[in-house]
Amino acid sequence: MSLVNFTTREITCKIVYYGPGRSGKTTNLQYIYGRVPDDRRGRMVSLATETERTLFFDFLPLELGTISGFTTRFHLYTVPGQVYYNSTRKLVLQGADGVVFVADSQVRQLDENIESLQNLQSNLIEMDDDMRSMPLVLQYNKQDLPPQLILRPLELDEALNFWGLPSFASDALRGVGVFETLKAISEQVLRKLSEEASQ
Amino acid sequence: MRRTRAVEAWTIEPLNRFVVESGARFTLLMTPAGQVLAQHGFTRAVDVMASAALGAAIFSSTGEIARMLGEREFRALNHQGRQYGVFLGALDTDRGKLLVLVVYGSDSSLGLVQLFFDDLAEQLVVAAPVPEVRRGPILAADFERELNESLASLFGR
Repeated sequence: MSLVNFTTREITCKIVYYGPGRSGKTTNLQYIYGRVPDDRRGRMVSLATETERTLFFDFLPLELGTISGFTTRFHLYTVPGQVYYNSTRKLVLQGADGVVFVADSQVRQLDENIESLQNLQSNLIEMDDDMRSMPLVLQYNKQDLPPQLILRPLELDEALNFWGLPSFASDALRGVGVFETLKAISEQVLRKLSEEASQ
Repeated sequence: MRRTRAVEAWTIEPLNRFVVESGARFTLLMTPAGQVLAQHGFTRAVDVMASAALGAAIFSSTGEIARMLGEREFRALNHQGRQYGVFLGALDTDRGKLLVLVVYGSDSSLGLVQLFFDDLAEQLVVAAPVPEVRRGPILAADFERELNESLASLFGR
C-alpha cells in the first residue's frame, strides 16, 4: 500500500515484478540498477541462493524526483518464480501498489507462464485484491531469441492477456522494453493512487 | 552527530526518548510493507530503505512460521551477533500495524531494549493519529508529463 505524506509531501509506492522462474524479473531490476545514476537509486538487495536463483526477493529503491509537488519514490521488488516458493511470493506481494508480470516468451514456457499468472490471481484474491483492480502490465521477455523458439507478442497476448492490459516486448538483458514497462506501471500506479484519493 | 528523522512528525518525540533510554545505535519505525515512518542513526537514505525492506521481510517470514505453528504471530524477535544485536518488535496503533527495528551494541543489551520498547510502543499508540481522509486528487491532471520527464532523466534519455 502506498504511503502518502501530505506534510512532507512524499509518496512511496511498491511495485512487484512477478512471473515464472527464469523469466527475467531480476534481470529487469539489474538493468534498471545499472542505468540509473547513483544518487537516484539505493543499494540493490538480492536474497538469492548460491546459484543466483531468487530465494526471497530482490529489492531496488528508486528516487523518481518531484511529481505534482510530491517527492516520489518507488520500491521495486521481485518474487521468487519457482513454484515451491509460493509462501514467500505471497509475503512479497503484500502491500503491492502495482505488478509487472514478466512472461518468458519461449514456446516451451507457455504452461509455466499460465500457471504463474493463475498463481498471481489466486494470491491476490487471498489478499482481497484482484488482477482487474490492481495496476498491472505484462512484459514478454526474451523476444531476442530465435523466432522458432518463441511466441510473438500477439500470440502471447492471445494466451495471457485476457483483459487487454498494456503489454511490452522485451529483451531485459539488453534493456529493450525495460524502460517502457516501468513507465507504464508507474503511470497506472500513480493514476490509481490519485483517483482513489479523489473518491 | 546521529539524529532522528521522521516522515511523520508524531513519531519523533517517542523515538528520541527511546534512543536515549535504550542506548540503541540505529532505530527504524516502519509499516509491515517496509515503508519508513522515522529513523534514527542512519546516515544514508539507501541504507534505511534496504534495512526496512529486510526487517519487514524477516517479520513477515517468521510470522508465516508462527502461523504454521498455530501461534498468532511473534510480537518480538531478536538476532544476536558478536558486536551488535537486532531487535524487531510490532505494535498496533490507529495508524495501523507498525514495526520497530533496533540495532544495539555492547553498550546496551537486549533486556534494556525490550524494556524501553514497551514504553515506546505505549507512547506511539497514544501519539498515533487516526489517518486523515483526504478528498480531491493528489496529483495534478497532467502528472504523466512530470513522470515521463523524471523517468527519462532517470534512464538518461
